[in-house]
Amino acid sequence: MPDRFAAAAKAIAAIADDSVGLAAPLLDAIPVTGASVSTIGSLLGTRTLDASDRRAARIDELQFDLGEGPCWDAIQSARPILEPDLLGRPVRHWPAFLGAMQREPVAALFAFPLMVGPLRFGAIDLYRDAAGELAREDAARAEQLAAVVSRHVLRRAIRTAGIAEPAEGDRFSRRIVHQATGFVIAQLGVSAEDAELLIQGQAFSENRPMTEVATDIVERRTVFSMDSGFIEDRSTDAPPAGSRGESARAQSPSAEPAESEVPRADPSADGSTGNDRLGDDGSDVAEDPA
Amino acid sequence: MTEVSREAILLDALATLADTLVVGYDVVDLVQMLVETSTSLFDVDDAGLLLADDGGELDLLASTSEAGALIETIALSAESGPCIESFRTGKIVAVPDLRTDADAWGEFRIASIDAGFLSTIAVPLRLRDEVIGSLNFFRREPGELNRRDLRAAQAMADMAAIGILHERSLREGDAVRQQLQYALDSRVVIEQAKGVLAHTHDLGMDDAFATLRRYARSNRLTLREVAQGLVDRTLIF
Repeated sequence: MPDRFAAAAKAIAAIADDSVGLAAPLLDAIPVTGASVSTIGSLLGTRTLDASDRRAARIDELQFDLGEGPCWDAIQSARPILEPDLLGRPVRHWPAFLGAMQREPVAALFAFPLMVGPLRFGAIDLYRDAAGELAREDAARAEQLAAVVSRHVLRRAIRTAGIAEPAEGDRFSRRIVHQATGFVIAQLGVSAEDAELLIQGQAFSENRPMTEVATDIVERRTVFSMDSGFIEDRSTDAPPAGSRGESARAQSPSAEPAESEVPRADPSADGSTGNDRLGDDGSDVAEDPA
Repeated sequence: MTEVSREAILLDALATLADTLVVGYDVVDLVQMLVETSTSLFDVDDAGLLLADDGGELDLLASTSEAGALIETIALSAESGPCIESFRTGKIVAVPDLRTDADAWGEFRIASIDAGFLSTIAVPLRLRDEVIGSLNFFRREPGELNRRDLRAAQAMADMAAIGILHERSLREGDAVRQQLQYALDSRVVIEQAKGVLAHTHDLGMDDAFATLRRYARSNRLTLREVAQGLVDRTLIF
């Protein structure tokens, strides 16, 4: 029902500054029992932004504490993780998380990554108290809403952080940001709006002014790429130790040694057919929630 | 320059302006043409046209080149220099020798000289009672513009203003500010499109702009149309 999607997207867009209220529109649009929206990883930190009920919040909390679960896999694989019968016939293998979930009346769990271009920074968890597949159109709608939520969350984080954007009056610095936006459009095939958001996101993750990041892009020192999962940097000098840039990059599956290796179950059940975006070693990585 | 060739160039500029008024033409295309024509029409080496945006800030709409030194010089002039002065006062501001009279605009003067310019002249863009921007000329030689060149410079500025005014009347109901903003927004899309081409064709910004314009001309499209297509990825070349 496209109007339900439109209403939900509108509701999300209308949320002013606070993230409270992110979960409710999801429930209105998708037939699930509860929903939560969380940020994961070092870019925006790991925390629940909004949950429709205590159980939804608890599902997030367990995954954060245990360092495994659908939301982690969603952010790592950059695609939805669908578990229509979580406790009866789980598709994936999360020993600790599934063990903990035995005590919760959660029968189905669906996780959708929050990402903009190559930046991945969170997940939406949708749960049901009865087992059952998420209908194809509901899954598609959830993905679309995840995209809306992603932009909202990233924009809000950037705004809150007060990233050094070129000042309104500094029109000439803006110019290079526009040019860099064009590079990113061509590199990733995204809209101009997303491209600019990505440059902001990159500035945010590296704690640098937007014009600096833009200059690196225009001078070909930084190249955005979807394949790498994160942004490639052609410059030889590494960002200063402890900078947010380093930690953002360290989130890349290939850049961080696996905390614990969990064999990946056949993902075909959730409709996905490959793991191209995971680390080359084919391992699944459970991230340290710290 | 012979009087004949000058006349031919002026006629060309007027014909393009007439196109704007009769068949419609993008304001960015017009302004770009005027800026470039000026360097062949009279004794200046580079030029840049700035418009005021919603907030009254001057923003570069067109320049003869993308060279960093030129853009920086124009930026400084718009911040504290002849450009902003001409915009504020509505009068022509000339600095015949940037090396002398170092009282004002120090940063601008130094940047200008570094960029190889020794004189500059800023002509206000007037739209009836209001000043909407500034057309700036830079010369590698010191000295005043002769009276004839000064008139030509003012004519260029007036033509640009007429082109913008006309666009405004095409979009009835639009306030002048909105109209100016439309032109400046076009510039944003053009900058983005330059970035797209710079990446896909591995070009510098000047070449990217030249490629954009070549495509627009050979396909009878406006700069904005081509730029929008590239940015929306509905147009790939």
